Amino acid sequence: MALIELPTWAALAPALVLGATALVLFLIDSIEPEPDTTSPTLLTGVGLAGALSALGFNVWYLIAGTGQTTAIELFGGQLMVDGMTLVLGTIVASVLALVVIASYDYIAEEPHQAEYFSLLFLAATGMTLLGSVDSFATAFIALELSSLPSYALVSYLKDNRGSVEAGLKYFLVGALSSAIFAYGISLVYGATGSLQFDAVASAVDPTALPGILGVGIVMIVGGVAFKTASVPFHFWAPEAYEGAPTPISAFISSASKAAGFVLAFRIFTTAFPIDAVAGTIDWLLLFQVLAVATMVLGNFAAATQENVKRMLAYSSVGHAGYVLIALAALTPQANPDLVLGAGMLHLLVYGFMNTGAFLFVGLAEYWDVGRTFEDYNGLASEAPVASVAMTVFLFSLAGLPVGAGFLSKYVLFGAAVGAGLWWLAAIGAIASALSLFYYSRVVKALWIEEPTEEFEIDSYPVGLYTAIVVAAVVTVLLLPAFGLASEEAIAAAGALV
Amino acid sequence: MVGVTHYLVLSAAVFAIGVFGILTRRNALLFLMSVELMLNAANINLVAFSLHYGNLSGQVFALFVMALAAAEVAIGLGIILVLDRNFGGIDVTVPTTMRR
Repeated sequence: MALIELPTWAALAPALVLGATALVLFLIDSIEPEPDTTSPTLLTGVGLAGALSALGFNVWYLIAGTGQTTAIELFGGQLMVDGMTLVLGTIVASVLALVVIASYDYIAEEPHQAEYFSLLFLAATGMTLLGSVDSFATAFIALELSSLPSYALVSYLKDNRGSVEAGLKYFLVGALSSAIFAYGISLVYGATGSLQFDAVASAVDPTALPGILGVGIVMIVGGVAFKTASVPFHFWAPEAYEGAPTPISAFISSASKAAGFVLAFRIFTTAFPIDAVAGTIDWLLLFQVLAVATMVLGNFAAATQENVKRMLAYSSVGHAGYVLIALAALTPQANPDLVLGAGMLHLLVYGFMNTGAFLFVGLAEYWDVGRTFEDYNGLASEAPVASVAMTVFLFSLAGLPVGAGFLSKYVLFGAAVGAGLWWLAAIGAIASALSLFYYSRVVKALWIEEPTEEFEIDSYPVGLYTAIVVAAVVTVLLLPAFGLASEEAIAAAGALV
Repeated sequence: MVGVTHYLVLSAAVFAIGVFGILTRRNALLFLMSVELMLNAANINLVAFSLHYGNLSGQVFALFVMALAAAEVAIGLGIILVLDRNFGGIDVTVPTTMRR
Protein backbone atom coordinates (compact mmCIF):
# COMPACT_ATOMS: atom_id res chain seq x y z
CA MET A 1 0.00 0.00 0.00
CA ALA A 2 0.94 3.65 -0.05
CA LEU A 3 4.06 4.63 1.83
CA ILE A 4 2.65 7.96 2.97
CA GLU A 5 -0.89 8.46 4.22
CA LEU A 6 -2.46 11.23 2.17
CA PRO A 7 -5.72 12.99 3.06
CA THR A 8 -8.65 11.82 0.92
CA TRP A 9 -8.91 15.08 -1.02
CA ALA A 10 -5.40 14.39 -2.33
CA ALA A 11 -7.03 11.82 -4.60
CA LEU A 12 -8.12 14.80 -6.70
CA ALA A 13 -4.49 15.96 -7.03
CA PRO A 14 -4.35 15.59 -10.85
CA ALA A 15 -7.31 17.96 -11.34
CA LEU A 16 -6.09 20.31 -8.60
CA VAL A 17 -2.63 20.54 -10.16
CA LEU A 18 -4.11 21.39 -13.55
CA GLY A 19 -6.40 24.04 -12.07
CA ALA A 20 -3.55 25.56 -10.05
CA THR A 21 -1.34 25.66 -13.15
CA ALA A 22 -4.04 27.62 -14.99
CA LEU A 23 -4.13 30.17 -12.17
CA VAL A 24 -0.32 30.40 -12.00
CA LEU A 25 -0.26 31.12 -15.73
CA PHE A 26 -2.80 33.92 -15.29
CA LEU A 27 -0.71 35.26 -12.41
CA ILE A 28 2.49 35.27 -14.46
CA ASP A 29 0.69 37.18 -17.18
CA SER A 30 -0.78 39.74 -14.80
CA ILE A 31 2.54 40.42 -13.06
CA GLU A 32 4.16 41.26 -16.40
CA PRO A 33 3.84 45.06 -16.82
CA GLU A 34 3.83 45.20 -20.62
CA PRO A 35 1.17 43.17 -22.45
CA ASP A 36 2.42 40.22 -24.48
CA THR A 37 6.02 40.38 -23.33
CA THR A 38 5.84 37.27 -21.15
CA SER A 39 8.51 34.85 -22.23
CA PRO A 40 6.94 31.96 -24.22
CA THR A 41 9.62 29.66 -22.82
CA LEU A 42 8.51 30.45 -19.26
CA LEU A 43 4.84 29.83 -20.11
CA THR A 44 5.59 26.57 -21.89
CA GLY A 45 7.89 25.49 -19.06
CA VAL A 46 5.27 26.15 -16.38
CA GLY A 47 2.64 24.45 -18.54
CA LEU A 48 4.80 21.43 -19.16
CA ALA A 49 5.64 21.14 -15.47
CA GLY A 50 1.94 21.27 -14.60
CA ALA A 51 0.93 18.72 -17.22
CA LEU A 52 3.75 16.33 -16.32
CA SER A 53 3.07 16.52 -12.58
CA ALA A 54 -0.62 15.79 -13.22
CA LEU A 55 0.49 12.85 -15.34
CA GLY A 56 2.86 11.77 -12.56
CA PHE A 57 0.09 11.86 -9.95
CA ASN A 58 -2.20 9.79 -12.18
CA VAL A 59 0.42 7.15 -12.89
CA TRP A 60 1.50 7.07 -9.24
CA TYR A 61 -2.10 6.57 -8.07
CA LEU A 62 -2.66 3.91 -10.71
CA ILE A 63 0.40 1.99 -9.54
CA ALA A 64 -0.34 2.55 -5.84
CA GLY A 65 -3.90 1.34 -6.38
CA THR A 66 -5.59 4.49 -5.05
CA GLY A 67 -9.35 4.03 -5.04
CA GLN A 68 -9.21 0.95 -7.21
CA THR A 69 -10.55 -1.60 -4.75
CA THR A 70 -13.17 0.76 -3.29
CA ALA A 71 -13.79 4.11 -4.92
CA ILE A 72 -12.85 7.16 -2.85
CA GLU A 73 -15.91 9.34 -2.30
CA LEU A 74 -15.49 13.07 -1.83
CA PHE A 75 -17.80 15.98 -0.97
CA GLY A 76 -20.71 13.87 0.16
CA GLY A 77 -20.62 11.60 -2.86
CA GLN A 78 -20.57 14.39 -5.45
CA LEU A 79 -17.14 13.38 -6.70
CA MET A 80 -15.35 10.06 -6.62
CA VAL A 81 -11.96 8.71 -7.64
CA ASP A 82 -11.55 5.21 -9.01
CA GLY A 83 -9.53 3.43 -11.67
CA MET A 84 -11.55 4.95 -14.52
CA THR A 85 -10.84 8.46 -13.22
CA LEU A 86 -7.13 7.77 -13.18
CA VAL A 87 -7.03 6.20 -16.65
CA LEU A 88 -8.87 9.23 -18.05
CA GLY A 89 -6.56 11.54 -16.10
CA THR A 90 -3.57 9.80 -17.67
CA ILE A 91 -4.99 10.26 -21.17
CA VAL A 92 -5.84 13.93 -20.64
CA ALA A 93 -2.50 14.79 -19.00
CA SER A 94 -0.47 13.01 -21.71
CA VAL A 95 -2.33 14.71 -24.54
CA LEU A 96 -2.06 18.03 -22.70
CA ALA A 97 1.72 17.68 -22.32
CA LEU A 98 2.11 16.95 -26.05
CA VAL A 99 -0.14 19.87 -26.99
CA VAL A 100 1.73 22.26 -24.68
CA ILE A 101 5.11 21.42 -26.22
CA ALA A 102 3.72 21.70 -29.74
CA SER A 103 2.00 25.03 -29.00
CA TYR A 104 5.38 26.57 -28.15
CA ASP A 105 6.17 26.71 -31.87
CA TYR A 106 2.66 26.87 -33.26
CA ILE A 107 1.53 30.03 -31.46
CA ALA A 108 5.01 31.62 -31.30
CA GLU A 109 3.85 34.62 -33.39
CA GLU A 110 0.46 35.08 -31.71
CA PRO A 111 -0.53 37.50 -28.94
CA HIS A 112 -2.20 36.46 -25.64
CA GLN A 113 -0.16 33.31 -25.16
CA ALA A 114 -0.64 33.23 -21.38
CA GLU A 115 -4.42 33.23 -21.83
CA TYR A 116 -4.10 30.47 -24.40
CA PHE A 117 -2.19 28.24 -22.00
CA SER A 118 -4.49 29.08 -19.04
CA LEU A 119 -7.61 28.23 -21.03
CA LEU A 120 -5.95 25.00 -22.14
CA PHE A 121 -5.36 24.05 -18.50
CA LEU A 122 -8.86 25.06 -17.41
CA ALA A 123 -10.33 22.85 -20.13
CA ALA A 124 -8.03 20.00 -19.05
CA THR A 125 -9.19 20.46 -15.44
CA GLY A 126 -12.78 20.05 -16.57
CA MET A 127 -11.95 16.95 -18.62
CA THR A 128 -10.07 15.37 -15.71
CA LEU A 129 -12.98 16.14 -13.37
CA LEU A 130 -15.42 14.54 -15.81
CA GLY A 131 -13.81 11.26 -14.84
CA SER A 132 -14.59 11.72 -11.16
CA VAL A 133 -18.18 12.99 -11.29
CA ASP A 134 -20.71 10.99 -9.32
CA SER A 135 -23.84 13.12 -9.70
CA PHE A 136 -25.57 14.89 -12.55
CA ALA A 137 -24.89 18.26 -10.92
CA THR A 138 -21.10 17.82 -10.97
CA ALA A 139 -21.33 16.16 -14.39
CA PHE A 140 -22.95 19.27 -15.86
CA ILE A 141 -20.46 21.60 -14.19
CA ALA A 142 -17.44 19.58 -15.30
CA LEU A 143 -18.85 19.32 -18.81
CA GLU A 144 -19.22 23.10 -19.02
CA LEU A 145 -15.77 23.65 -17.49
CA SER A 146 -14.26 21.58 -20.26
CA SER A 147 -16.44 23.09 -23.03
CA LEU A 148 -16.35 26.83 -22.33
CA PRO A 149 -12.55 27.27 -22.54
CA SER A 150 -12.57 25.04 -25.63
CA TYR A 151 -14.92 27.43 -27.48
CA ALA A 152 -12.55 30.29 -26.77
CA LEU A 153 -9.50 28.23 -27.76
CA VAL A 154 -11.00 27.19 -31.09
CA SER A 155 -11.55 30.85 -32.02
CA TYR A 156 -8.15 31.87 -30.59
CA LEU A 157 -6.83 33.11 -33.95
CA LYS A 158 -9.32 35.95 -33.88
CA ASP A 159 -8.26 37.57 -37.15
CA ASN A 160 -8.45 34.28 -39.01
CA ARG A 161 -11.90 33.79 -40.53
CA GLY A 162 -11.62 30.01 -40.43
CA SER A 163 -10.82 29.99 -36.73
CA VAL A 164 -13.70 32.36 -35.89
CA GLU A 165 -16.14 30.36 -37.99
CA ALA A 166 -14.96 27.15 -36.31
CA GLY A 167 -15.39 28.68 -32.87
CA LEU A 168 -18.87 29.92 -33.76
CA LYS A 169 -20.06 26.52 -35.00
CA TYR A 170 -18.53 24.72 -32.01
CA PHE A 171 -20.18 27.20 -29.68
CA LEU A 172 -23.61 27.05 -31.34
CA VAL A 173 -23.81 23.26 -31.30
CA GLY A 174 -22.20 23.12 -27.85
CA ALA A 175 -24.61 25.61 -26.27
CA LEU A 176 -27.58 23.82 -27.83
CA SER A 177 -26.46 20.39 -26.68
CA SER A 178 -25.62 21.55 -23.16
CA ALA A 179 -29.14 23.02 -22.91
CA ILE A 180 -30.55 19.69 -24.07
CA PHE A 181 -28.32 17.88 -21.55
CA ALA A 182 -29.54 20.16 -18.72
CA TYR A 183 -33.16 19.61 -19.69
CA GLY A 184 -32.55 15.85 -19.76
CA ILE A 185 -31.07 16.04 -16.26
CA SER A 186 -34.12 17.98 -15.05
CA LEU A 187 -36.43 15.29 -16.45
CA VAL A 188 -34.41 12.50 -14.84
CA TYR A 189 -34.54 14.42 -11.58
CA GLY A 190 -38.28 14.74 -12.05
CA ALA A 191 -38.69 11.00 -12.55
CA THR A 192 -36.38 9.88 -9.74
CA GLY A 193 -36.07 12.79 -7.29
CA SER A 194 -32.30 12.54 -7.13
CA LEU A 195 -29.18 13.74 -8.92
CA GLN A 196 -26.70 11.22 -7.48
CA PHE A 197 -25.90 8.46 -9.99
CA ASP A 198 -26.44 5.49 -7.69
CA ALA A 199 -29.52 7.05 -6.09
CA VAL A 200 -31.00 7.58 -9.57
CA ALA A 201 -30.44 3.91 -10.40
CA SER A 202 -32.16 2.70 -7.24
CA ALA A 203 -35.04 5.19 -7.60
CA VAL A 204 -35.89 4.19 -11.16
CA ASP A 205 -39.50 3.05 -11.16
CA PRO A 206 -40.60 1.88 -14.60
CA THR A 207 -44.27 2.23 -13.69
CA ALA A 208 -44.18 5.89 -12.62
CA LEU A 209 -43.57 8.48 -15.33
CA PRO A 210 -41.72 6.14 -17.73
CA GLY A 211 -42.04 8.61 -20.57
CA ILE A 212 -40.34 11.41 -18.67
CA LEU A 213 -37.41 9.22 -17.70
CA GLY A 214 -37.10 7.88 -21.25
CA VAL A 215 -37.04 11.34 -22.82
CA GLY A 216 -34.56 12.45 -20.17
CA ILE A 217 -32.21 9.57 -20.98
CA VAL A 218 -32.39 10.28 -24.72
CA MET A 219 -31.56 13.96 -24.07
CA ILE A 220 -28.59 12.95 -21.93
CA VAL A 221 -27.38 10.77 -24.80
CA GLY A 222 -27.56 13.91 -26.93
CA GLY A 223 -25.32 15.83 -24.55
CA VAL A 224 -22.79 13.01 -24.50
CA ALA A 225 -22.92 12.62 -28.28
CA PHE A 226 -21.85 16.27 -28.65
CA LYS A 227 -18.85 15.86 -26.37
CA THR A 228 -17.70 12.69 -28.15
CA ALA A 229 -18.46 14.02 -31.66
CA SER A 230 -20.87 11.18 -32.42
CA VAL A 231 -23.92 11.18 -34.68
CA PRO A 232 -26.31 13.07 -34.38
CA PHE A 233 -24.24 15.88 -32.80
CA HIS A 234 -21.12 15.36 -34.89
CA PHE A 235 -21.50 18.09 -37.50
CA TRP A 236 -19.57 20.68 -35.53
CA ALA A 237 -16.50 18.42 -35.53
CA PRO A 238 -15.17 18.77 -39.11
CA GLU A 239 -15.60 22.55 -39.08
CA ALA A 240 -14.20 23.06 -35.58
CA TYR A 241 -11.21 20.75 -36.08
CA GLU A 242 -10.38 22.23 -39.47
CA GLY A 243 -10.58 25.87 -38.45
CA ALA A 244 -9.09 25.65 -34.97
CA PRO A 245 -5.37 26.10 -34.26
CA THR A 246 -4.07 22.57 -34.91
CA PRO A 247 -2.80 21.80 -31.37
CA ILE A 248 -6.31 22.66 -30.16
CA SER A 249 -7.85 20.34 -32.77
CA ALA A 250 -5.57 17.61 -31.44
CA PHE A 251 -6.53 18.39 -27.86
CA ILE A 252 -10.29 18.50 -28.45
CA SER A 253 -10.41 15.47 -30.70
CA SER A 254 -8.39 13.29 -28.30
CA ALA A 255 -8.77 14.43 -24.69
CA SER A 256 -12.26 15.90 -24.91
CA LYS A 257 -13.58 12.83 -26.70
CA ALA A 258 -12.07 10.53 -24.06
CA ALA A 259 -13.64 12.62 -21.27
CA GLY A 260 -17.04 12.48 -22.96
CA PHE A 261 -16.85 8.72 -23.29
CA VAL A 262 -15.80 8.18 -19.67
CA LEU A 263 -18.78 10.31 -18.60
CA ALA A 264 -21.03 8.17 -20.81
CA PHE A 265 -19.57 4.93 -19.40
CA ARG A 266 -20.20 6.12 -15.88
CA ILE A 267 -23.72 7.46 -16.47
CA PHE A 268 -24.94 4.41 -18.35
CA THR A 269 -23.41 1.82 -16.02
CA THR A 270 -24.05 3.57 -12.68
CA ALA A 271 -27.14 5.75 -13.13
CA PHE A 272 -29.00 3.86 -15.86
CA PRO A 273 -27.94 0.19 -15.70
CA ILE A 274 -29.76 -1.55 -18.53
CA ASP A 275 -31.67 -3.98 -16.30
CA ALA A 276 -33.06 -1.05 -14.26
CA VAL A 277 -34.22 1.12 -17.15
CA ALA A 278 -35.00 -1.57 -19.75
CA GLY A 279 -38.71 -0.95 -19.18
CA THR A 280 -38.42 2.69 -20.24
CA ILE A 281 -35.81 2.79 -22.98
CA ASP A 282 -33.49 0.21 -24.46
CA TRP A 283 -30.35 2.33 -24.71
CA LEU A 284 -28.36 -0.66 -25.97
CA LEU A 285 -30.29 -0.53 -29.23
CA LEU A 286 -29.91 3.26 -29.33
CA PHE A 287 -26.12 3.00 -28.99
CA GLN A 288 -25.95 0.19 -31.56
CA VAL A 289 -27.70 2.40 -34.09
CA LEU A 290 -25.50 5.39 -33.18
CA ALA A 291 -22.32 3.30 -33.38
CA VAL A 292 -23.14 2.04 -36.87
CA ALA A 293 -24.22 5.49 -38.08
CA THR A 294 -21.12 7.15 -36.63
CA MET A 295 -18.67 4.58 -38.01
CA VAL A 296 -20.19 4.58 -41.49
CA LEU A 297 -20.69 8.33 -41.75
CA GLY A 298 -17.29 9.26 -40.32
CA ASN A 299 -15.34 6.88 -42.52
CA PHE A 300 -17.22 7.50 -45.76
CA ALA A 301 -17.03 11.27 -45.32
CA ALA A 302 -13.31 11.01 -44.55
CA ALA A 303 -12.74 9.06 -47.75
CA THR A 304 -14.09 11.91 -49.89
CA GLN A 305 -11.98 14.73 -48.42
CA GLU A 306 -9.23 16.60 -50.22
CA ASN A 307 -7.95 18.40 -47.14
CA VAL A 308 -5.78 16.36 -44.74
CA LYS A 309 -6.95 18.12 -41.58
CA ARG A 310 -10.60 17.71 -42.54
CA MET A 311 -9.96 14.05 -43.35
CA LEU A 312 -8.51 13.59 -39.84
CA ALA A 313 -11.55 15.39 -38.43
CA TYR A 314 -13.97 12.96 -40.09
CA SER A 315 -11.78 10.02 -39.13
CA SER A 316 -12.07 11.26 -35.56
CA VAL A 317 -15.86 10.97 -35.91
CA GLY A 318 -15.32 7.43 -37.20
CA HIS A 319 -13.21 6.54 -34.16
CA ALA A 320 -15.98 7.82 -31.89
CA GLY A 321 -18.11 5.19 -33.61
CA TYR A 322 -15.64 2.43 -32.73
CA VAL A 323 -15.63 3.45 -29.07
CA LEU A 324 -19.44 3.60 -29.07
CA ILE A 325 -19.27 -0.17 -29.62
CA ALA A 326 -18.12 -0.37 -25.99
CA LEU A 327 -21.51 0.97 -24.86
CA ALA A 328 -23.51 -0.80 -27.55
CA ALA A 329 -22.05 -4.19 -26.60
CA LEU A 330 -23.03 -4.18 -22.92
CA THR A 331 -25.52 -6.96 -23.66
CA PRO A 332 -26.41 -9.51 -20.97
CA GLN A 333 -24.06 -12.17 -22.41
CA ALA A 334 -21.14 -9.74 -22.76
CA ASN A 335 -18.19 -9.59 -20.42
CA PRO A 336 -18.75 -5.98 -19.29
CA ASP A 337 -15.22 -5.48 -17.91
CA LEU A 338 -13.71 -6.47 -21.23
CA VAL A 339 -16.13 -4.40 -23.33
CA LEU A 340 -15.68 -1.17 -21.38
CA GLY A 341 -11.96 -1.83 -20.85
CA ALA A 342 -11.54 -2.21 -24.61
CA GLY A 343 -13.24 1.16 -25.12
CA MET A 344 -10.87 2.78 -22.61
CA LEU A 345 -7.86 1.17 -24.27
CA HIS A 346 -8.85 2.47 -27.67
CA LEU A 347 -9.25 5.96 -26.18
CA LEU A 348 -5.78 5.70 -24.60
CA VAL A 349 -4.06 4.60 -27.80
CA TYR A 350 -6.15 7.02 -29.86
CA GLY A 351 -5.02 9.83 -27.57
CA PHE A 352 -1.45 9.39 -28.71
CA MET A 353 -1.86 8.46 -32.38
CA ASN A 354 -4.52 11.05 -33.17
CA THR A 355 -2.71 13.84 -31.31
CA GLY A 356 0.44 12.94 -33.22
CA ALA A 357 -1.31 12.96 -36.58
CA PHE A 358 -2.89 16.38 -35.94
CA LEU A 359 0.45 17.76 -34.74
CA PHE A 360 2.07 16.62 -38.00
CA VAL A 361 -0.57 18.66 -39.82
CA GLY A 362 0.38 21.51 -37.48
CA LEU A 363 4.01 21.06 -38.51
CA ALA A 364 3.01 21.24 -42.17
CA GLU A 365 1.03 24.43 -41.45
CA TYR A 366 4.08 25.84 -39.65
CA TRP A 367 6.04 25.33 -42.86
CA ASP A 368 3.16 26.67 -45.03
CA VAL A 369 3.17 23.61 -47.26
CA GLY A 370 -0.60 23.78 -47.80
CA ARG A 371 -3.46 21.66 -46.62
CA THR A 372 -4.43 19.18 -49.34
CA PHE A 373 -3.08 15.71 -50.04
CA GLU A 374 -1.21 17.00 -53.12
CA ASP A 375 0.55 19.65 -51.07
CA TYR A 376 2.14 16.90 -48.98
CA ASN A 377 3.73 15.27 -52.06
CA GLY A 378 7.35 14.40 -51.42
CA LEU A 379 7.45 15.92 -47.96
CA ALA A 380 9.31 12.84 -46.68
CA SER A 381 12.46 13.89 -48.55
CA GLU A 382 12.56 17.12 -46.52
CA ALA A 383 11.33 15.82 -43.16
CA PRO A 384 12.00 12.09 -42.96
CA VAL A 385 11.74 11.74 -39.15
CA ALA A 386 8.37 13.44 -38.90
CA SER A 387 7.14 11.52 -41.95
CA VAL A 388 8.08 8.18 -40.38
CA ALA A 389 6.16 9.25 -37.27
CA MET A 390 3.14 10.30 -39.38
CA THR A 391 3.22 6.95 -41.18
CA VAL A 392 3.17 5.16 -37.81
CA PHE A 393 0.20 7.29 -36.67
CA LEU A 394 -1.82 6.74 -39.82
CA PHE A 395 -1.24 2.99 -40.05
CA SER A 396 -1.95 2.66 -36.35
CA LEU A 397 -5.19 4.64 -36.78
CA ALA A 398 -6.15 2.33 -39.64
CA GLY A 399 -5.44 -0.68 -37.43
CA LEU A 400 -2.26 -2.09 -38.98
CA PRO A 401 0.11 -3.71 -36.45
CA VAL A 402 2.78 -0.98 -36.54
CA GLY A 403 1.26 0.70 -33.51
CA ALA A 404 -1.03 -0.19 -30.66
CA GLY A 405 -4.09 0.88 -32.69
CA PHE A 406 -4.15 -2.66 -34.10
CA LEU A 407 -4.45 -4.31 -30.68
CA SER A 408 -7.00 -1.89 -29.25
CA LYS A 409 -9.27 -2.33 -32.29
CA TYR A 410 -8.76 -6.10 -32.16
CA VAL A 411 -9.80 -6.24 -28.48
CA LEU A 412 -12.74 -3.91 -29.11
CA PHE A 413 -14.12 -5.91 -32.06
CA GLY A 414 -13.37 -9.15 -30.21
CA ALA A 415 -15.37 -7.91 -27.23
CA ALA A 416 -18.27 -7.05 -29.55
CA VAL A 417 -18.22 -10.57 -31.02
CA GLY A 418 -18.14 -11.96 -27.48
CA ALA A 419 -21.24 -9.93 -26.71
CA GLY A 420 -23.06 -11.63 -29.58
CA LEU A 421 -22.88 -8.60 -31.85
CA TRP A 422 -20.77 -10.06 -34.65
CA TRP A 423 -22.50 -7.78 -37.18
CA LEU A 424 -21.37 -4.71 -35.27
CA ALA A 425 -17.77 -5.98 -35.30
CA ALA A 426 -18.10 -6.75 -39.01
CA ILE A 427 -19.25 -3.20 -39.80
CA GLY A 428 -16.37 -1.91 -37.70
CA ALA A 429 -13.88 -4.07 -39.60
CA ILE A 430 -15.25 -2.92 -42.98
CA ALA A 431 -15.07 0.70 -41.85
CA SER A 432 -11.45 0.13 -40.76
CA ALA A 433 -10.61 -1.36 -44.16
CA LEU A 434 -12.08 1.71 -45.82
CA SER A 435 -10.08 3.93 -43.47
CA LEU A 436 -6.86 2.25 -44.66
CA PHE A 437 -7.65 3.66 -48.13
CA TYR A 438 -7.72 7.31 -47.08
CA TYR A 439 -4.94 7.05 -44.52
CA SER A 440 -2.61 5.47 -47.06
CA ARG A 441 -3.31 8.32 -49.48
CA VAL A 442 -1.37 10.58 -47.10
CA VAL A 443 1.43 8.02 -46.76
CA LYS A 444 1.60 7.70 -50.56
CA ALA A 445 1.78 11.48 -50.94
CA LEU A 446 4.54 11.72 -48.35
CA TRP A 447 6.81 8.96 -49.61
CA ILE A 448 6.03 8.06 -53.22
CA GLU A 449 4.79 11.16 -55.06
CA GLU A 450 7.25 13.68 -56.45
CA PRO A 451 7.04 17.20 -55.00
CA THR A 452 5.21 19.62 -57.30
CA GLU A 453 7.32 22.57 -56.19
CA GLU A 454 10.28 23.24 -53.91
CA PHE A 455 9.51 23.37 -50.19
CA GLU A 456 10.78 26.40 -48.35
CA ILE A 457 11.71 24.77 -45.07
CA ASP A 458 14.32 26.83 -43.27
CA SER A 459 13.82 25.74 -39.67
CA TYR A 460 12.91 22.59 -37.82
CA PRO A 461 10.71 23.58 -34.83
CA VAL A 462 11.98 21.80 -31.73
CA GLY A 463 8.71 21.73 -29.80
CA LEU A 464 6.54 20.32 -32.58
CA TYR A 465 9.20 17.74 -33.46
CA THR A 466 9.57 16.62 -29.83
CA ALA A 467 5.80 16.22 -29.44
CA ILE A 468 5.46 14.26 -32.69
CA VAL A 469 8.38 11.95 -31.94
CA VAL A 470 7.24 11.31 -28.36
CA ALA A 471 3.70 10.53 -29.56
CA ALA A 472 5.09 8.12 -32.18
CA VAL A 473 7.37 6.37 -29.69
CA VAL A 474 4.51 5.92 -27.23
CA THR A 475 2.19 4.64 -30.00
CA VAL A 476 4.76 1.99 -30.91
CA LEU A 477 5.75 1.20 -27.30
CA LEU A 478 2.11 0.61 -26.35
CA LEU A 479 2.27 -2.40 -28.68
CA PRO A 480 4.56 -4.45 -26.37
CA ALA A 481 3.19 -2.72 -23.25
CA PHE A 482 -0.39 -3.42 -24.28
CA GLY A 483 -0.81 -6.23 -21.78
CA LEU A 484 0.08 -3.92 -18.89
CA ALA A 485 -2.22 -1.12 -20.11
CA SER A 486 -5.09 -3.51 -20.77
CA GLU A 487 -4.82 -4.95 -17.24
CA GLU A 488 -5.23 -1.46 -15.77
CA ALA A 489 -8.04 -0.45 -18.13
CA ILE A 490 -10.04 -3.67 -17.71
CA ALA A 491 -9.61 -3.54 -13.93
CA ALA A 492 -10.76 0.08 -13.97
CA ALA A 493 -13.80 -0.84 -16.05
CA GLY A 494 -14.51 -3.78 -13.76
CA ALA A 495 -14.99 -1.41 -10.85
CA LEU A 496 -17.83 0.30 -12.73
CA VAL A 497 -20.04 -2.67 -13.43
CA MET B 1 -54.20 23.30 -7.03
CA VAL B 2 -51.23 23.62 -9.37
CA GLY B 3 -49.40 20.29 -9.53
CA VAL B 4 -46.09 19.19 -11.01
CA THR B 5 -47.81 18.32 -14.28
CA HIS B 6 -48.61 21.98 -14.83
CA TYR B 7 -44.99 22.93 -14.30
CA LEU B 8 -43.90 20.14 -16.61
CA VAL B 9 -46.19 21.43 -19.37
CA LEU B 10 -44.95 24.99 -18.80
CA SER B 11 -41.30 23.95 -19.00
CA ALA B 12 -41.94 21.82 -22.10
CA ALA B 13 -43.58 24.84 -23.73
CA VAL B 14 -40.66 27.13 -22.85
CA PHE B 15 -38.19 24.50 -24.11
CA ALA B 16 -40.13 24.13 -27.36
CA ILE B 17 -40.14 27.91 -27.88
CA GLY B 18 -36.35 27.85 -27.42
CA VAL B 19 -35.92 25.05 -29.97
CA PHE B 20 -38.22 26.88 -32.39
CA GLY B 21 -36.12 30.01 -32.01
CA ILE B 22 -32.91 28.12 -32.76
CA LEU B 23 -34.37 26.49 -35.84
CA THR B 24 -35.88 29.63 -37.36
CA ARG B 25 -33.61 32.52 -36.40
CA ARG B 26 -30.31 33.30 -38.07
CA ASN B 27 -29.25 36.08 -35.72
CA ALA B 28 -26.57 34.89 -33.30
CA LEU B 29 -27.94 36.98 -30.42
CA LEU B 30 -31.41 35.49 -30.83
CA PHE B 31 -29.74 32.08 -30.79
CA LEU B 32 -28.22 32.91 -27.40
CA MET B 33 -31.62 34.02 -26.10
CA SER B 34 -33.22 30.80 -27.33
CA VAL B 35 -30.58 28.68 -25.56
CA GLU B 36 -31.25 30.71 -22.45
CA LEU B 37 -34.95 29.82 -22.71
CA MET B 38 -34.07 26.13 -22.97
CA LEU B 39 -31.83 26.28 -19.91
CA ASN B 40 -34.51 28.10 -17.95
CA ALA B 41 -37.03 25.46 -18.95
CA ALA B 42 -34.71 23.00 -17.21
CA ASN B 43 -34.64 25.31 -14.18
CA ILE B 44 -38.45 25.36 -13.98
CA ASN B 45 -38.45 21.56 -13.85
CA LEU B 46 -35.68 21.44 -11.28
CA VAL B 47 -37.37 23.88 -8.92
CA ALA B 48 -40.84 22.37 -9.35
CA PHE B 49 -39.66 18.82 -8.70
CA SER B 50 -37.50 20.02 -5.84
CA LEU B 51 -40.71 21.23 -4.16
CA HIS B 52 -42.53 18.05 -5.13
CA TYR B 53 -39.92 15.71 -3.63
CA GLY B 54 -39.13 17.98 -0.70
CA ASN B 55 -35.34 17.90 -1.21
CA LEU B 56 -33.18 20.87 -2.09
CA SER B 57 -30.76 19.36 -4.59
CA GLY B 58 -32.88 20.49 -7.53
CA GLN B 59 -32.99 24.09 -6.34
CA VAL B 60 -29.26 24.18 -5.69
CA PHE B 61 -28.54 22.70 -9.11
CA ALA B 62 -30.80 25.35 -10.68
CA LEU B 63 -28.51 28.01 -9.17
CA PHE B 64 -25.51 26.30 -10.78
CA VAL B 65 -27.30 26.14 -14.13
CA MET B 66 -27.95 29.90 -13.96
CA ALA B 67 -24.31 30.65 -13.18
CA LEU B 68 -23.09 28.41 -15.99
CA ALA B 69 -25.59 29.95 -18.41
CA ALA B 70 -24.14 33.36 -17.61
CA ALA B 71 -20.61 32.08 -18.21
CA GLU B 72 -21.73 30.57 -21.50
CA VAL B 73 -23.24 33.87 -22.61
CA ALA B 74 -19.97 35.63 -21.76
CA ILE B 75 -18.00 33.30 -24.04
CA GLY B 76 -20.75 33.45 -26.66
CA LEU B 77 -20.76 37.26 -26.79
CA GLY B 78 -16.98 37.22 -27.22
CA ILE B 79 -17.28 34.87 -30.16
CA ILE B 80 -20.14 36.90 -31.66
CA LEU B 81 -17.97 40.03 -31.35
CA VAL B 82 -15.11 38.52 -33.38
CA LEU B 83 -17.71 37.11 -35.78
CA ASP B 84 -18.97 40.64 -36.40
CA ARG B 85 -15.42 41.95 -36.91
CA ASN B 86 -14.46 39.24 -39.38
CA PHE B 87 -17.67 38.78 -41.34
CA GLY B 88 -19.33 42.18 -40.90
CA GLY B 89 -22.52 40.77 -39.38
CA ILE B 90 -23.89 38.27 -36.91
CA ASP B 91 -25.91 36.08 -39.24
CA VAL B 92 -24.86 32.54 -38.30
CA THR B 93 -25.42 31.21 -41.84
CA VAL B 94 -22.98 33.60 -43.51
CA PRO B 95 -19.62 32.08 -42.43
CA THR B 96 -19.04 29.20 -44.85
CA THR B 97 -15.36 29.59 -45.70
CA MET B 98 -14.66 25.90 -45.17
CA ARG B 99 -17.53 24.37 -47.12
CA ARG B 100 -16.67 23.64 -50.70
